[in-house]
Amino acid sequence: MEGNRLPTDRITFKRIIKLLMIAAKVDMVWLLRDTRFAIMGILGDVINNLAMVSGVFLIAVRFGGIGGMTTDEVLFMMAYSTLVTGIFMLFGSSNNIHVSRIIGRGQLEHMFIQPLPLSTQLLTNGFSPFTSSSNFIVGVILMMIAINRLEINVSAVWMLTLIAYLIATMIIIIARAYLVSSIAFYAPVAAEEITYTAIDETWLLSTFPLSGMPRFVQIPLMTILPEGLMAWFPALILLNKIQAGLLAYYPMLFALLSALTAGYFFRKGLRYYVQKGSNRYVPYGFRR
Amino acid sequence: MSKKVQTDTCRTVFADNINCEKDSAICIKNVTKTFNQWQRDNTGKGLIRNLIKPEKRIITALDDVSFEVKKGEFVAYAGPNGAGKSTTIKLLSGMLLPTKGELTVLSMSPQKQRRTIMKHLGVLFGNRTELWWDHPVIQSFEWKKVVWDIPDDLYKRNLAMVTELLGLEELLKTFAREMSLGQRMRADVAMMLLHSPKVILLDEPTLGLDVEAKRQMIAFLKQLNEKEGTTIVVTSHDMDDLEEMAQRILLISKGKVAFDGDFTKLRDELECTKRAIVKFSDGNEQIIDYQNTNKLLAKLSKMDGITDVIFTQTSLEEGLANLYKKWKQ
Repeated sequence: MEGNRLPTDRITFKRIIKLLMIAAKVDMVWLLRDTRFAIMGILGDVINNLAMVSGVFLIAVRFGGIGGMTTDEVLFMMAYSTLVTGIFMLFGSSNNIHVSRIIGRGQLEHMFIQPLPLSTQLLTNGFSPFTSSSNFIVGVILMMIAINRLEINVSAVWMLTLIAYLIATMIIIIARAYLVSSIAFYAPVAAEEITYTAIDETWLLSTFPLSGMPRFVQIPLMTILPEGLMAWFPALILLNKIQAGLLAYYPMLFALLSALTAGYFFRKGLRYYVQKGSNRYVPYGFRR
Repeated sequence: MSKKVQTDTCRTVFADNINCEKDSAICIKNVTKTFNQWQRDNTGKGLIRNLIKPEKRIITALDDVSFEVKKGEFVAYAGPNGAGKSTTIKLLSGMLLPTKGELTVLSMSPQKQRRTIMKHLGVLFGNRTELWWDHPVIQSFEWKKVVWDIPDDLYKRNLAMVTELLGLEELLKTFAREMSLGQRMRADVAMMLLHSPKVILLDEPTLGLDVEAKRQMIAFLKQLNEKEGTTIVVTSHDMDDLEEMAQRILLISKGKVAFDGDFTKLRDELECTKRAIVKFSDGNEQIIDYQNTNKLLAKLSKMDGITDVIFTQTSLEEGLANLYKKWKQ
């Protein structure tokens, strides 16, 4: 067989931006297609997320804090959690994070025929800044209120630390989604919704402050089911509530290990998929 | 080109040592593809056995298949259900890995150079759409332009061409979900062609289309092949459509290439292609399929009360149905 004779286009930063732009444009025209329903949807998302975090916040208000965290510190943690949800929704609107749906429905084949690496497609095709940015914006507003009330000195280092923790949290979520989604390669019908079960069904737990909880609760929630790393632990570090030392880097280490594990099992699953094929194809939910 | 080594009843077996030309559009060499099929029964014993050691059956979708498609050819790829047609399309598009053998598209491996190939290959499955469902057609086209990184001038030229030839003017602003099947297929074909693919693979493109939509699609594909020199491989169960479109037919059965040649040769190889409809004075009629005219005449001479004899040919479709039936047996 002959080698490559035709040029492959390189995936540059400019190309990624272009792909994000077209995803954003598609999102915008979808919003403009039926603005009333889109606004109702956006409001629904905001109410849903605010309800989720305000439940914990109201408990903190009623009892003057939770487990050693003051009401404003709880508000900060809720803001962090809302920001995470916001980023998740901002980049994950096309089942690219709920990837078990794509695998389980046999829809990876639509991706194979695109001249892009799967990673680039998964990174860019769920970007929806017009219809899914509401939680991110609410998260930013809550964060600003919490910072103001806590009188945090927002230095460049602090901002970079916040960004680093947000990235680590996102990597942990995505890695978890891809790790459990790997099961869908082998059991497409049974595991089609497994990401939803693994991520969304446990989301409520990640908004609860674990301060004051016994170790046998905290440790599993920092390791096996890492809900403690979704908002609580990063909030404690960012608020200087604990002198963690090297433990401060634990979320980054956990993110790295999770990404490597998920990458290994996802690639293994992908190899199985291209060897065995998918005898299931479902057209719904593929493109809106 | 493949070497014919043996012919039995309508079956042409190809030699293993196929040598594809350097610039062949598609080259498949000794490709085998097997799948596992889980077997289950609902008896108590079966359920327990399934827990301990699930039973599986190995299905050979393609069995040591070799063939070549040259640049500019229009090839029909036909065969009964489960013959391995869609599996071949998926292998050529890099969606599946072969169990054995090697294959190339434009001299590149779909498994190793998928991205590069996809810049020059168009794939369409008749029962799927690549269009954005809740958007006007033109939005899907613009999305494709960015994802395939199609240069402005090429995009504009191709958009104008497909709009004119496929009559899409009125459909460009229509939402994909609001179009009829025929309109959607035209839009899907148009989208597939926007990046000027050198090779296109169509899996059942006329599936579910009415007569007019089918005619339009066939005319367009023929024109594309003749004028642009695009290599086309099309699968369908409709033999009349395939005969009208393609110059060459590859028949596949039980994972093997059973016939490779033109349609005239296929008609010659099919048994029972001639038919006589004999009408009798009592209003009855009898259909006689025959190959030897002398034998038919001898048979007719022994019949009483014949008022008319109509000579016709069994359709290719019917001939193939008989052939498929025979293969199954």
